[in-house]
Amino acid sequence: MALALQILASGFAAGAVYGLVGVGHSVVFRLTGVVHFAFGELIALGVFTTLLVAAGSGPVSQTSVGGGRFLVALAIGLVVSAAAGAGSYFLAIEPYRARSSTIGWVAASLAVAFAVRTLLVVFFDRPAYVFPDPLPFGVWRIGGVTIQQRSLFVAGAALVLAAGGGWLLTRTRFGRALEAIAQDFDAALVVGLPVKLLVGVAFALAGVWAGLAAILAAPSAAFDVDAAARYGLYGLLAAVVVWFEPRRALVVGVAIGLVQATVTSAHVGSAELGPSYRDVIPFVLGLALLALRARRPAEAVE
Amino acid sequence: MSTFAALADAARDARRAWRLRASLGAVGFAVAAFAPLVFGDSRLADFAGGLYLAVAATGLAFAVGVGGLPSLAQGAFVAAGAVVSARLLQVGAPTIVAAPLGAATGAASAALVAVLFVRLPRAGLAAATWIVAWLVATALESLSWFFGGTEGLVVTAGPSPAGHYELALALTALAGLGFAALARSSLGLGLAAARDREAAATGFGIPVQRLRVTAFAVSGAAAGLAGALGVELAGIGDPSQYGPYLSFKLFVVVLVGGAIAPLGATAGVIVLGVLSVAAEAIGSIENVAHARSHALLAAIMLLGVVSLGWDGIVRPARRRYPSGSARADTTVRHSLTARDLTKSYGAVKAADGVSLTLEPGTVTALVGPNGSGKTTVLRLLAGAVPPDSGTIDHGGVARTLQATGVFPTLTALEHLLATPRRRHGGVMRSLLATPKARAEEAGLAVTARELLERVGIAPDVPASELPAGEQRLLMVLAAAASGAPTLLVDEPSAGASVADAGRISDLLAELRSRGRAILVVEHNPVVVERVADRVVALDGGRIVETS
Repeated sequence: MALALQILASGFAAGAVYGLVGVGHSVVFRLTGVVHFAFGELIALGVFTTLLVAAGSGPVSQTSVGGGRFLVALAIGLVVSAAAGAGSYFLAIEPYRARSSTIGWVAASLAVAFAVRTLLVVFFDRPAYVFPDPLPFGVWRIGGVTIQQRSLFVAGAALVLAAGGGWLLTRTRFGRALEAIAQDFDAALVVGLPVKLLVGVAFALAGVWAGLAAILAAPSAAFDVDAAARYGLYGLLAAVVVWFEPRRALVVGVAIGLVQATVTSAHVGSAELGPSYRDVIPFVLGLALLALRARRPAEAVE
Repeated sequence: MSTFAALADAARDARRAWRLRASLGAVGFAVAAFAPLVFGDSRLADFAGGLYLAVAATGLAFAVGVGGLPSLAQGAFVAAGAVVSARLLQVGAPTIVAAPLGAATGAASAALVAVLFVRLPRAGLAAATWIVAWLVATALESLSWFFGGTEGLVVTAGPSPAGHYELALALTALAGLGFAALARSSLGLGLAAARDREAAATGFGIPVQRLRVTAFAVSGAAAGLAGALGVELAGIGDPSQYGPYLSFKLFVVVLVGGAIAPLGATAGVIVLGVLSVAAEAIGSIENVAHARSHALLAAIMLLGVVSLGWDGIVRPARRRYPSGSARADTTVRHSLTARDLTKSYGAVKAADGVSLTLEPGTVTALVGPNGSGKTTVLRLLAGAVPPDSGTIDHGGVARTLQATGVFPTLTALEHLLATPRRRHGGVMRSLLATPKARAEEAGLAVTARELLERVGIAPDVPASELPAGEQRLLMVLAAAASGAPTLLVDEPSAGASVADAGRISDLLAELRSRGRAILVVEHNPVVVERVADRVVALDGGRIVETS
C-alpha cells in the first residue's frame, strides 16, 4: 500500500511533466503539422539558463540559492525558453512547412536539437547537475518507503499549468485564433489573421509551459541534457500515440510516468524489472500503441 | 541465350549507360584503392570506419531520397547488425558468416519497423523511427545481457586495417551501384511516384506500402552490413557509439551529400570527415572536446544546407533506359462486373444498388450531375473504398484521379515504367541485372517509348515541363501501362481545350482497340460522343439511364 502511494506520487509528478510536454507537442503539431524534435533540448536550454543565472556553472548545493535571485533566474530562463521556441519556429520550421518539405523540417528541427545540445554540453560539462531548490520540501516516511513532498507539488503545479493552458486555448480570442489556424492554415491567412505571429507566440508559450514544469521538477533529481531530451521524447511519445490531441496527451504522459515508476519500484515477490527497464518499457508500450494506430485504415486523401 | 551472349549483352548495356560521371567515380575509387601505400594503420582504420558509415548512409539515402521516407532509425539498424555480428564473432564465426547475418538482421529489423509504422503520415513515421532510435540506444546501454552494458562487447580482431579499408571501399562502390540500379528499377520508380503523389500512385495499382517496406529493408541491410563490419574493425561493440546521434549523423550525411544520387551519401561522409579534421584543429585551439565540436559543426552544416534549400553536393544524372525489341502487348482481356454496390456516407447514399459490366474493348461513359455519386462509384470499382454491400469481380483495375498533376520528378518515360508489374523485377534481380530482368526492362522501355512517340509526347523531359494537355494524356497512358485490363478514368478532359479533348478521345479509342475495358467519367460531350459505346447516367447514387 505504502509502495503504491510512493509509485503514485513519483510517477504522477514525472508523468505530469511528460504530459505538459506532450500538450506542447500537440499544440505545435496541430498548428503546423510539424513534429518539434528539438522540444526537449529547448527545455534543457531554459532549465540550464535558470541554473546559470541562479548559481553559475560551477558546483551547486541544493540550498545555496536565495529566493529573490532564483525568481530572477526563473524569469530569465523562461524568457530564453520563449525566445528559443519562437526562434526555432521562424528559423527552422516555417520555411519548410511553407514548402511542405517533410524531410526539410525533420532535418532542421533535429539540427536545432543537436546544436543546442552540443552548446549546453560545452558550457555545462559535468555529467549531472544538482538543481538549486528554492522551496525545500521534506519527505514522508510511511512503512519503509519515502515519498517526496516535492512530487505532490510538481504534480499539482503541472495540473495548474495544464488547466491554465486549457483555458488559454479554449476560452480566449487567442485560443480561438489558434483553433482556426489548426483547422486550416491557409484559410486563416486569407481571413487576415496574423498567422505566423500567432503560431510564433504559440511556440513560445509551449516552450514556457514545458520549461516551467521542467524547472519545477528539476530539483527532484540530478539533471542533465539527456534528462531534458527524454522529457521531449516522452512528451512526443504521449502526443503521437493519441495523434496530437492535447487532453489525451496529458493523460498518456501521466500514464507513462506511472508505468515508469512501477517498473522502477514494483516487485512481485522477488521478481522485479528494476531501473534499467524504466526507459525501455514505456518506449516499447508506446510504440506498440502507435503501431496499432497505424493499422487503422485511414480514409485516403485525394 | 548463351552465357557469352548474355555477357556481351550486359557489356553493351553498361557501355550505353556509361558517362563522364561514372568514369570520374571509377577513377576516384581506383586511386583510393592505393591508400594503404601511403597511410598508416590507424589512418586506414579511420578511413574504413568512414566508408562503412558511407555504406549505411547510401542505404539511408535510398529510403530518404528515392522513397521520401523520413527514417531516423538508421543508427538503430546499424546497431542491430553490430550486435548480431559481435555475438557471432565471439563464438568464433568467421567474417564471411557474421557480416551477411548482420546485414540480414539489419534488413529484418528495418522491415519490421516499416511494417509497423509505414502507414502513418510522414510526420508520424519520423516520430516513430526517432523513438525506435532512442529505444535501441537505451536498451544497448541499460540492458547488459543485450550488448555487454557500458563495457561493450569485445570482439577478436578480423582482417587488418588495410584489409578492412579495401573491403569498405569495394562495398561503398557496390552500394553506389546498387543504389543506381534500384533507383531505375520498378521499385525505385514506384517509390518516387508515391513520394511525389501518393494517391495517384495508389490509383495506378502501385503497391505503395509494400514498396516502402522493401525500401526500408534494403536500407536496413546496408546499415546492418556496415554495423557488422564496423564492430569487427573497432574490435569492440561500444553501446555509446549507436545512440540517436548516429542516426542523426547519417541523416546529415545523406542530406549534405545529396539524397537522390548514388554517390551522394559517400560525398557527404567525405565532407563530414574533412570537417571533423577541421573541428579537431579548432578544438585543440579552443580546448573543446573534439566529439562535441564535431556534433555542432554537423548540426550547423545541416541547417545551412536545408535553409538554402539545397539538394546536396551530388545531383543525380538523368537515368538512361535500355533499348531493344518491343514487347508484344500482353495485356489480358478481362471484364469487370459489379453487382448491387451500395455505399453510404452518414445519411447520404453515394451509391445505391449500382450494377454494371465493363466488357473488354468497350468504352463506357459515366455521366451525371455534380454529387450524383460518379467519383464514389469509381472509387468503389477501384477498391479504394470498400462497399457497404455488393460484389465486384475484375482482373485488375487502374484509375486516374480527377484533376491530378503528374509525378513532377519523373520523366514521361518513367511514368510508363513506374506502373507495370514485372515478372522478373524483384530487388535481387534488379541489383544483379539478370538477363531476364534486363530483357524485360528493355522490352518495357521500348514499348513505352514507341507509345509516347505515337501520342506525340517527348519521352525524356521531366513530366512537369510538358504542356497541360500532354500531362493529362500522360496520366491516362501511365494507368494503361500498368497492364490492368480495366481502366477507370476520372474527368480526363476537365478544363481541356477542344484540341486536347480530341487527343484524349483518340487515346481512349486506341486503348479500346487494344482490348481494354474502359470506364470514363466525363462531362465533355465531345469526348462522350466520339468514343463512348455506352452511356450510363447516375443520379442520387442510382443508375437512372443506360444507352
